[in-house]
Amino acid sequence: MKYPSAFEVLTHSPGTMIGVTLVAVHVMVTLFAPVLIPFEETKIVGPVLSSPGSVENWLGTDNIGRDYLSRLLMGGRTSIFVAMVSITFAVLIASLVGISAAYVGGIYDDVVMRIVDTKLAIPGILFIALIVTGFGRSIPALTAAIALSYLPGAIRIIRSQALTIIPLGFVETAKLRGDSLPRIIWKELVPNCQEIIAVEFALRMSSSILTVSALSFLGLGISPPTPDWGLMIAEGVKNIHTHTWLILLPAAFISTLVIGLNLASDGLANALGLDAARGIN
Amino acid sequence: MLWILIRRLTLSLLILFLAAVFVFLATEVLPGDALDVFLTADDLAVMDEEEIEEMRRDFGLDRPAWVRFWDWFSGVLVGNLGKTFIHEVPISEIIWHPLINSVLLGVVITVITLPVAILIGILTGYRRGYREDIIVSNASIVGYSIPDFVIGTCLIIVFAVWMPLFPAVIIAFSDSPPGELLAVSLLPALTVIIGHIAHQSRLLRAGFIETMNSEFVERVRLSGIPEGRVIFRHALPASVIPTLNSFAMYTAGVLSGLVVVEKVFGYPGLGRELIEAVSRREVHVVQAITFLSATVVIVMNLLADLAVIILDPRVRSLKS
Amino acid sequence: MQHEGLTEMLILELEGLTIGYRSVNREIVRVVDNVSFELEKGETLGIVGESGCGKSTLVRAIMGYLRPGGQILGGNVRFKGTSVLALKLRELQRLRGRQMAVVPQNPLSSLTYHMRVGDQIDEILQIHRGLNRHDARDETLNLFQATRLPEPAQIYRRFPHQLSGGQRQRVVISAALACQPSVMILDEPTTALDTTTEMQVLQLVKELSEEFDTAIVYITHDLTLTNYMCDSVLVMQNGKIVERGTALRVFKCPKEKYTQDLVAAIPRVDQPPRHKKSYVPEDGDALLEVKELSFAFRPAWSASTLFTKQEFSRAVDQVNFSVRRGETIGLVGESGSGKSTIANIVVGLLAPSLGTILLDGNPLSVLAKKRTFEQRRRVQMIFQDPLSSLNPRQRIETILTQPLRAFFGTSPRDARDQAAKLLEDMELPLRFLSQFPRQLSGGEQQRVAIARAFAAQPDLILCDEITSALDVSVQAHVLALLTTMQRKTGTACLFISHDLGVVREIAHRCVVLQEGCVVECGTTERVFTDSKHPYTCRLLAAASRQDGLRDQDKVLTN
Repeated sequence: MKYPSAFEVLTHSPGTMIGVTLVAVHVMVTLFAPVLIPFEETKIVGPVLSSPGSVENWLGTDNIGRDYLSRLLMGGRTSIFVAMVSITFAVLIASLVGISAAYVGGIYDDVVMRIVDTKLAIPGILFIALIVTGFGRSIPALTAAIALSYLPGAIRIIRSQALTIIPLGFVETAKLRGDSLPRIIWKELVPNCQEIIAVEFALRMSSSILTVSALSFLGLGISPPTPDWGLMIAEGVKNIHTHTWLILLPAAFISTLVIGLNLASDGLANALGLDAARGIN
Repeated sequence: MLWILIRRLTLSLLILFLAAVFVFLATEVLPGDALDVFLTADDLAVMDEEEIEEMRRDFGLDRPAWVRFWDWFSGVLVGNLGKTFIHEVPISEIIWHPLINSVLLGVVITVITLPVAILIGILTGYRRGYREDIIVSNASIVGYSIPDFVIGTCLIIVFAVWMPLFPAVIIAFSDSPPGELLAVSLLPALTVIIGHIAHQSRLLRAGFIETMNSEFVERVRLSGIPEGRVIFRHALPASVIPTLNSFAMYTAGVLSGLVVVEKVFGYPGLGRELIEAVSRREVHVVQAITFLSATVVIVMNLLADLAVIILDPRVRSLKS
Repeated sequence: MQHEGLTEMLILELEGLTIGYRSVNREIVRVVDNVSFELEKGETLGIVGESGCGKSTLVRAIMGYLRPGGQILGGNVRFKGTSVLALKLRELQRLRGRQMAVVPQNPLSSLTYHMRVGDQIDEILQIHRGLNRHDARDETLNLFQATRLPEPAQIYRRFPHQLSGGQRQRVVISAALACQPSVMILDEPTTALDTTTEMQVLQLVKELSEEFDTAIVYITHDLTLTNYMCDSVLVMQNGKIVERGTALRVFKCPKEKYTQDLVAAIPRVDQPPRHKKSYVPEDGDALLEVKELSFAFRPAWSASTLFTKQEFSRAVDQVNFSVRRGETIGLVGESGSGKSTIANIVVGLLAPSLGTILLDGNPLSVLAKKRTFEQRRRVQMIFQDPLSSLNPRQRIETILTQPLRAFFGTSPRDARDQAAKLLEDMELPLRFLSQFPRQLSGGEQQRVAIARAFAAQPDLILCDEITSALDVSVQAHVLALLTTMQRKTGTACLFISHDLGVVREIAHRCVVLQEGCVVECGTTERVFTDSKHPYTCRLLAAASRQDGLRDQDKVLTN
C-alpha cells in the first residue's frame, strides 16, 4: 500500500470533491471579500431593513441600515481567522504534548492525562463561557479560549496513536542506537502520526467554526459591529416573521462552509485509511 | 472487579476536584477576584475605593485564594452555592427550577437519540455501500454540519412562521409543571436530536462495520447462526463499546447543545441562566453552573464505564 | 477416480473452482485457479501451501462464504451431491455448523469475547439440533469432555480470554463437532500454539475423526504435519494445485520442483543439519557472559495501576550462559519460557531484577542509554515482525544509512555506497534504496533489517524469532544469507526461536529454557540426539511429530 498523493485524496469520492469545492469557494470569498464588497460592512448606508432587490443594496439593509451583501461576504473572515489560528496552535501543541507524553510516560503522562480528563469534563461552550466571563470578549481571548478548549481532546487522540507506534521495532531500534529524545520524537514518531494530525486539524477546523458561530449567536463570541454570520442570525431573530432571509442567508453560508469542511475531512480520513467518525469532538 | 470500580470512582472524584479548582482559578484567581470581574469600567468610575473594599469584605473576597476556594468548594458539596452580587439571592434557589427543566430536556434528548442512532448505525453499516447507506451517510454529514442554532432557528421559521403550529418563543416559566414543559420542549429537543443522531449514528456505523468484519463474527456466521442473532447477540455489544468510551464527549456535547437551544427557543433552563449570568458578570452563578455540568459529565462517564465493564469481560480481569 | 455406485461415500467434490478478487487497480486477481478434488467419507485431506496461495479462500468457498470483494469466476462445489454455490443463504445456514464445520486459525479472535464459551456452544446446539437449555448444557459438557478439557463445568462459565491457547482451540473444536458434521475443515488451527500443545490438539483431532467418522480438510503450511495427520495431500501455489497424492508419497518423494523445494526448505529436527557450520574453537574467549540473570514483572507506578494486585511472576530465573566469538547460540523454549525477555535484557531494553551481563569481560550497564557508545554498537538486535521494525515513513536508504551515520559518522555519500553494498550482500536489488518498506515483501523486509544490523559491524547479533513470521522457503533463504554474513564478519549470534529444526540447522550450541530456567545446555548435536532431560525430550518428540505423547495422561492440564 502506498500513501495516496494529494490528487488522489482530493478526488477520493464525489462527496469529497463537493466538499473541497465548497471550501475553496468560501476561501476565495473570504480572501477577496474586501475587494468585492460594494460598501464598507460597518458603515450605515441606507434605510433600516430595506428589502432586497434594489439597485444600491442588492440584498437590502440590516436592522441598522448597513448593506447586507457586504456584511454577508465579510461575515466569515473573523470566524475563519479565529478558527485557523486557534486550531493551528491547538494541533501543534497537542502533537508535541501528546506524543511526548506517550513516549516519556510516567508521572508526566499521568499529569497530562488528568488535565485532559479535567477539561473534557467541562463542555465546550461552558468552558469558553467561563473564560469569557473572566477575561472578556476580545478576539485574542476568544482565540485562546478556543485553542484551550480543543487542545485536550486533540492531545488524547494523538497520544493514543503515538501509543500504538511506540512499541514497534523501529522505535526500539532508534532507542538502541542512542538517538536523543527530541530526535526520536521528531524523526520516528511525528512522521508516523502525520495522518492523524492532518485529520484532526481538518475535523477541528469545522468544529471550531461551528463553535465560534454559536458563541457569537449567544453573545459570547465576536462582538458587534464586526460582521459575523452567527451574530447576524442573532440580530435577525428579532425580525423573524418579516425578514426571514436575514436569518436564512447567513445560515446557508455557515452550513455550506461546515458541510464542505466535513465532507472534505471525511474524504481525507478515508483516503488515508482512518475513520473520520471517531475523530469528531 | 470491585477494585476496578473503586479505582474508577477515585479517579472520577479526583477529576471532579480538579475541575472545581480549574473553574475557580479561571474566574476568581487569574483574572482577578470575582469582584474585579463583576464590576465594569462604568462601575469603577462611579464607585470609590472605600465602597469597593467594603463590597469585597462583604463577600469575603479579601481572604487568600485557597481559603476562598475551600470555602466555596465545601459549600458546593453540601449544596450551598453562594449568593449573587445583585440582590444577594442564594444561587441554589435561582438555579433549582432551571436545573430540573434542563435535566428534563436532556433526558428527552438522550432517550430518543441513543436507540435511534444505534438502529441507524446498524442499518447503514449492514448495507454498507448500498444506496440506503450512501444517502443516509451523506445526510448525516449534513445533519451534524449545520449548527444547532441554525437548525433551531429554521425549525422556528418552519413551524412558527410559515406554519403557525408552535409558539415561536416558549412562554413557560421556570417553575411550570413538567407536563407543560414537555409539550414545549419538543422543538428544542428535536434540534439537538437531529445533530446528535447524525453524529452518533456515524460512530456506531463505523464500530458496527469493524465488528462485522471481525474474525469472531465470521466464525459465528460459518457456524450457520441466523443473521439476526449474529447482529444482535454477537456484533451489537461489541460495536457499542467504542461509542461508550467517548460517552463523556457525548454528554458534554449534549450540554453544550442545551445552552444553545435554550437561548434559541427561550426555554427556561440552566443554559439560559448561564448566558444571562455571563452577560451580567455574575461570577458565582457561572461557577456554579459550570461545576454542576462537569459533575453531570463525570457521573455519566462513570455510568458509561460501568456499561463497558458489563459488556466487555476482558476489562474485568486487570492485565498489565 | 471413478466412484459409480459409491457416491454416498463422496462428501465433497470440487470441479474447476476459480475465485477472483478485485485488486486495487480494478483488475481481477485469481486467488483460486481451477481447483478440483474429491473428499471421501472419513478421509483426511491436507491442503498445503504458503501464504497467499488461496487456501483460506478455497476453504471458505466450500462453505459458500466469500469475503467482501470476492467473486466466483467458474467451477462448482458439491456437497453430497448438492451444489453449494447455488444455495440460498437460509439453506447454507442449515449446512454450516451442522454438516460442515470450520475451525479457524486464531481461537482468541474467533470466539466471541463477550460471551461465555459454554453459551457459544449451547447456541449452536439450540439452533441446529433444537435442544432446550438444559439438554444443550449437558451436551456441551459432554463435548468438552470429549475434547479432553479439564473441569468442563468450570470452563463452561469462562470467557475466552480466561483460557489458555490450547483450551480455546479445544472449545472451538467442540463447537465444530457439536452437530457431528460430515466434514470438518481446520484452517491452520495450531499456528498460534506451542509445539507440544499443537501435537496434543492434532492427536485429539485424529482420534475424534476416527470416532465420529468425520472427513477432515486440514489446511497448513507445514508438510511435516500433513505427513503425520493426513491420508492425502494437495499442494497449492498461487491458487493452483501443483501436486497431489498420498501424504507419505508427497513428503518422501515429491515430483514437482515446487514441492521438492518446499520439502527441502523444512528445517528438520530429526536429521542432522544440511549445511556445515562454521568452525568455532572450543576454548575460545567468551564474548558475552550472562550470569545469574533474573527478571520479574513489576508494573511501574502510574495512576492506572493504583489498587492493582502486585504480580511477581518470574519471567527469567537465574539464567547463565555464554556466547563465544563467531558462535551461534540457539535459545529455545515455548511461549512463556522467557527467551524474548532475555534478549531484551541483553540488548538493554529491559533492566533485569538481578544478575550481570559481561561483554568481553566488562560489565554492561543494564539499560542501553547508560551504556557506552561502543557497547551499543557492538550488540545489535533484529526483531520478529519485519514490517514494524522498519520505519514506514523512511526509505530503505535512510534506514540503512542511519546506523552508519550514527555509529561511524560516515559522510552521506559514503554511507549511500555502503548501503548499496549491504543490499548486495543480502541479494536485494539496488532500486530498493529509494523504496519504502511497505513496497517490499516480508522476506525482503527482514533482509533489510538484517542488513541494518550488520551495518553497525557488531560483534553480537540478537535474533528474536526473526523467521517465525515468514514462509518456509523464504525462511531458508533468509537464514542462509544470515549465516553467510556471519561467517564473513565473524559475528556471534544469539538466535531465539521456538522452531527446533531451525536451531539444529544453524546453532553451534543451544540453551533450552522452561519457564524462565535453563534446563539444558550444550552442543546442538548432543542436545538433539542424546538429551536426558525430560522436558527437552518432550519438545523434541513433539517437534518431530512422533506419537510419543500417546502415553501421556489423557486429561491435560495445558
